[in-house]
Amino acid sequence: MFANVPVLSLIIWLPLLGSLVVLLLPGRSGGAIRWAGISFTFVSMVLAFGLYASYLPLAGGGEFAEHGSWLSVPLNTEVMQDTSVTSYRLAFDYSLGVDGISMPLVLLTGIVASMASLASVHIFKRQKTYFSLFLLLQTGMYGVFLARDVIWFFIFFELTLIPMFFLIGIWGYYGREKAANRFLVYNGLGSAVMLLAFLILIATLGFASVQTDGGIELTFSGSYDTMLANLADPNAAAHQAGAWLLSDNLQWAAFILLLVAFGIKLPIFPFHTWMLKVHAEAPPPVVMIHSGILLKMGVYGLIRFAAFLLPAQLHSWSAVLAVLGVINILYGAVLACAQKEFKLVLAYSSISHMGIVLLGIASLNETGFEGAVYQAVSHGLISALLFLIVGSLHERTGTTRIDELGGLARAVPFTAGILLTAGLASLGLPGLSGFIGEFLSFLGLFSTMKALTAIGTIGVLLAAVYMLRSVLAMTYGPLPEKLAGLKEARFIETLPMVVLTAFIVLLGIYPSLLTDLMQHGFDGLLRELQTGVGG
Amino acid sequence: MSMLGSYLTLAAVLFCVGLFGVLTKRNAIIVLLSIELMLNAVNLNLVAFSKYGAQPSLAGQIFSLFSMTVAAAEAAVGIAVLIALYRRKATVNVDEYDELGR
Amino acid sequence: MSSVFSQYAWLVPAFPVAAFAILTALGRSLSRAGAVIATIASLASFILSLIIAIERIGQNAEDYVGGIDWLRTGAVNISAGYEVTNLTSLMLVVVTLVALLVNLYSFGYMAGDGRISVFYAYVALFTASMLGLVLADNLAILYICWELVGVCSFLLIGFWYQKPEARAAAKKAFIVTRVGDLGLLIAILLLFWYMPGHALDFASIHNVFDTQSGIVSMSITTLIALLIFVGAVGKSGQFPLHVWLPDAMEGPTPISALIHAATMVAAGVFLVVRTFDIFEASSAAMTVVAVIGAFTAIFAATIGLAQNDIKRILAYSTVSQLGYMMLALGVGSVSAAMFHLFTHAFFKALLFLGAGSVIHAIHTQDIREMGGLGRRMKVTAWTFGIGALALSGIPPFSGFWSKEAILTAALEGDHPWLFIVGVVTAFFTALYMARLFFLAFAGKPRGNAEQAAHAKESPAVMTIPMIVLAALAVVSGFVQTPFKDWLGEWLTGEASSHGASGLVLVASIAASLLGLYLGWLAFVRGTLRPDAVSSRLPWLSRLLERKYYIDELYQLVFAGGLRGLGRALAVFDEAVVDGAVRLTGYSVRALGRLNTKLQNGQIQTYGLAAILAAVILVLAIAGRRFW
Repeated sequence: MFANVPVLSLIIWLPLLGSLVVLLLPGRSGGAIRWAGISFTFVSMVLAFGLYASYLPLAGGGEFAEHGSWLSVPLNTEVMQDTSVTSYRLAFDYSLGVDGISMPLVLLTGIVASMASLASVHIFKRQKTYFSLFLLLQTGMYGVFLARDVIWFFIFFELTLIPMFFLIGIWGYYGREKAANRFLVYNGLGSAVMLLAFLILIATLGFASVQTDGGIELTFSGSYDTMLANLADPNAAAHQAGAWLLSDNLQWAAFILLLVAFGIKLPIFPFHTWMLKVHAEAPPPVVMIHSGILLKMGVYGLIRFAAFLLPAQLHSWSAVLAVLGVINILYGAVLACAQKEFKLVLAYSSISHMGIVLLGIASLNETGFEGAVYQAVSHGLISALLFLIVGSLHERTGTTRIDELGGLARAVPFTAGILLTAGLASLGLPGLSGFIGEFLSFLGLFSTMKALTAIGTIGVLLAAVYMLRSVLAMTYGPLPEKLAGLKEARFIETLPMVVLTAFIVLLGIYPSLLTDLMQHGFDGLLRELQTGVGG
Repeated sequence: MSMLGSYLTLAAVLFCVGLFGVLTKRNAIIVLLSIELMLNAVNLNLVAFSKYGAQPSLAGQIFSLFSMTVAAAEAAVGIAVLIALYRRKATVNVDEYDELGR
Repeated sequence: MSSVFSQYAWLVPAFPVAAFAILTALGRSLSRAGAVIATIASLASFILSLIIAIERIGQNAEDYVGGIDWLRTGAVNISAGYEVTNLTSLMLVVVTLVALLVNLYSFGYMAGDGRISVFYAYVALFTASMLGLVLADNLAILYICWELVGVCSFLLIGFWYQKPEARAAAKKAFIVTRVGDLGLLIAILLLFWYMPGHALDFASIHNVFDTQSGIVSMSITTLIALLIFVGAVGKSGQFPLHVWLPDAMEGPTPISALIHAATMVAAGVFLVVRTFDIFEASSAAMTVVAVIGAFTAIFAATIGLAQNDIKRILAYSTVSQLGYMMLALGVGSVSAAMFHLFTHAFFKALLFLGAGSVIHAIHTQDIREMGGLGRRMKVTAWTFGIGALALSGIPPFSGFWSKEAILTAALEGDHPWLFIVGVVTAFFTALYMARLFFLAFAGKPRGNAEQAAHAKESPAVMTIPMIVLAALAVVSGFVQTPFKDWLGEWLTGEASSHGASGLVLVASIAASLLGLYLGWLAFVRGTLRPDAVSSRLPWLSRLLERKYYIDELYQLVFAGGLRGLGRALAVFDEAVVDGAVRLTGYSVRALGRLNTKLQNGQIQTYGLAAILAAVILVLAIAGRRFW
């Protein structure tokens, strides 16, 4: 389907093109701007689905890989004692690829971003800037999931921060500036830590030596594939060259730095407070993106780098991860029970659900890993749906405080029904996608840490408590007088609600759709965990 | 050789007096004068070393001549700045020259 | 013998699923047409179930297993499979029949409700899930349907969502049953990792645990069994998770009949039956099941004595009868438990429909405001009377035979204490049913005039299901009598020819008759004052009326505890976690401010700092030489 078409690049860069197009449109033509913003978002989503349709799990997505040289810095050859070395350089290539782990997340990005673009029709303030930033953000998100070079990953990761900062800071609610600052400082810190870890990785695992006719070519690169190859082959050049390389301490440093960097994004307790502010203050379409996709970048990074590149560390810290996961689950759940603002309930529930992802990763088996990714995708869809509803409600009632709402099932039965469905999905009702992720994660972890998993499952119970408490308080019961004239959602709002609900139901009823995709995604890691660590 | 110690001691005393003046005096003129004092201490050192140093040569004396010239130029510029400041603020009290801190 | 129709068993839940899809898609525009669609779907399900069951009767039919791959990942390979055995075909018939009758009945009961199509959609979804639960060939699919019936129950309890009580009851039902579901979930996780080949299907479970091969160690077996039982306790409203079931009566009455009497609450019993091999392998688990069952039976029966809400009395009675079933399972008799489940489904559904008929007529649920309804609502009174007699265990009504089977099993299983508890419970059962019946249908109207004027018989669409159920309540007992153990043989494949035990017959009949007689004395003749006990032991009647204060206790311990913990953690989150963040920010700013103070614009200060630094530097360099 995509023979000779650089589809990954198209997916990434088309939104950027869209961003520029939006900037060139005259500022007054709100309709055209909206239309351009939405259609560029949809093009990338359609391409992502095309990619999904032609993706073969067995092939591992190799046919889509793209590669081009980008930045190459020659290093001083004279330091080399060996005269046969002809070239010695730092190389950061433009390298893209897709596999069983990134594919679901790319799909998720397409779906959630498209639905968020539809939800953005409520935005009237500085539309041009908004949609331009919105599209720029997408370039960053797709790039994060598709990049195969740590430096490009880092660039795309940063590229999500800046538009996000402005989107929160300009279009948010009352405390938007504080929230945007908190967001930037925390994530900037995370990025710095991440960069440090990447530098360690480049200087150790990124070493490659190629024997050519003229002599030996030595490179330090950010290529993820080189790193994987080095890891898998104990006779690789990186291991032979000694010096810098792969000392235990450095690996540990890299692992912990990565854990902190992605832990901030995930977020892992106690790095979560920034995320509450963002959830409470950012405009709903932006929170859809944030909670739906950006948090998943943490999951993705944790699996992609911390797990795949440092399996030995993951293995010895699996218990730590599991404990962190359980803390996340219970801490988030208990706090969600105590909130009075629905947005904060959702924020804390996100913390709780991300804990389940950690459990899946800590399980060290395929079931758990797939559960983690499944949970990430499913939580992305569900929280996007929930915030879509939050936006729609806030638009109409001006509040999302639980105690100020009630009886919405009478006033806006459709929205209330979707809200109830989303709430049920969030609390892990079987038949909806949330259950599968939780089930697989628990199932995976249960093989190694039974007691911990059993404690973690209490979170499922608490999820029922906080979700029902808040959703029922808002939808059931008598209708407050001031809400009597409430109008039902318009078509443009119901469309994304229906689409997201449909995906949630689909993934809940037939999970193989996604698990088949991931089937061979973890092969390398599992092999490494079995032979490299176990042996 | 014993003479060198005396010269250096005198120069050090002179320098410290100048330094004390620069750091403590409120009057800008006196501060400028104190700077001259410090410069002269340095000149004394240069000359002393040119006569009694490990490798006596004229370089030190020539250097001190340079230094005196530069000091004269500096005094001229310094006084000019001071006059400009005085016109502006009607005071020579350095405590009140604190625009940097505001 | 292969069975032709069994392979089409997946169609049984497919009909209501289709109905649900249609009703949801078309929404409220359907109104009563939606009700018709749903009823037709349930009729189709019923006919197909009946065919499947009839085909299996009399012949030694093989179990049929079919399905598709559902979840493939790593070690997990779970199929969405269904299994038709004699047991499941029996359950299919019971569920579809009650569902069909309730669908019909709701035509009358829910007439005039604007959301009738929503109601029917929920009922269709429930029916489908319940049928899925029955048919599931493995625990994972069963668990999914298990949760789905739970959520349908939740939706239907909260159907009248404007009422805060309905909202609270729905929430409570969901959360309390979820506690049990958690047990079942952990049991499934345990099974998954301990079963050879990670198999979760019932056939494999049977093979592994039946042979006592020691593949799974004793302690793990007990743990799994107990955790499964926790799930059953939640769903079937057994002590200590019974609290949701009486509150669930906030839902429409047909729902109470379908979900909270006949089908869903029996799912717990069904689950234990399905995984009975695990229980049998662990005597400790069996004892727990029996004791919890017996305790629940008598505990709920005593509460039922002191309630005044007609539906709540029936609800406690349901809890009590489910306790009986658990008791039967605990003493090792699957056939007795299933038999009681079978008969109970009919007569309890009947009683609820009768109660619904009464409520529909006079719009109150308080039996103290009823009275004398027997003359105005003849069909209701007669059918309700039959149901009450069946529940009280009066021969030859069905309840007698099934209760007798359970008591016999208890006695034969060498559990005399459980037997005694069972007999005493039978006495209480008869007593509260007599109280209910006589207060509601006999005597003079005690309600206001308006209610009395409204008291007239319900339309035929409501009475016909009641008549059908009444007929079943009479005859369904004869499928298994002490003289011919037909049902047990069909279900378990082995005849448990226990014969008639004189002691059991006499004891159970005597207890029931005594209960009825006392009730008659107290509430009709008036020779025995109804408040004879409560006036002498006010604390006892108060204790019963307040349901042993269990609700208050839970409210205090769990709800209060969670709220307290939540508030404490909220303070912690704000003060400590976020506080640490703010402290970091603040300290950086404070450091900055401190440095700003140094920058006072006085060159002399800067000079002093520079000199001091130079001196320190010199000293440091000089000092290093002597180090």
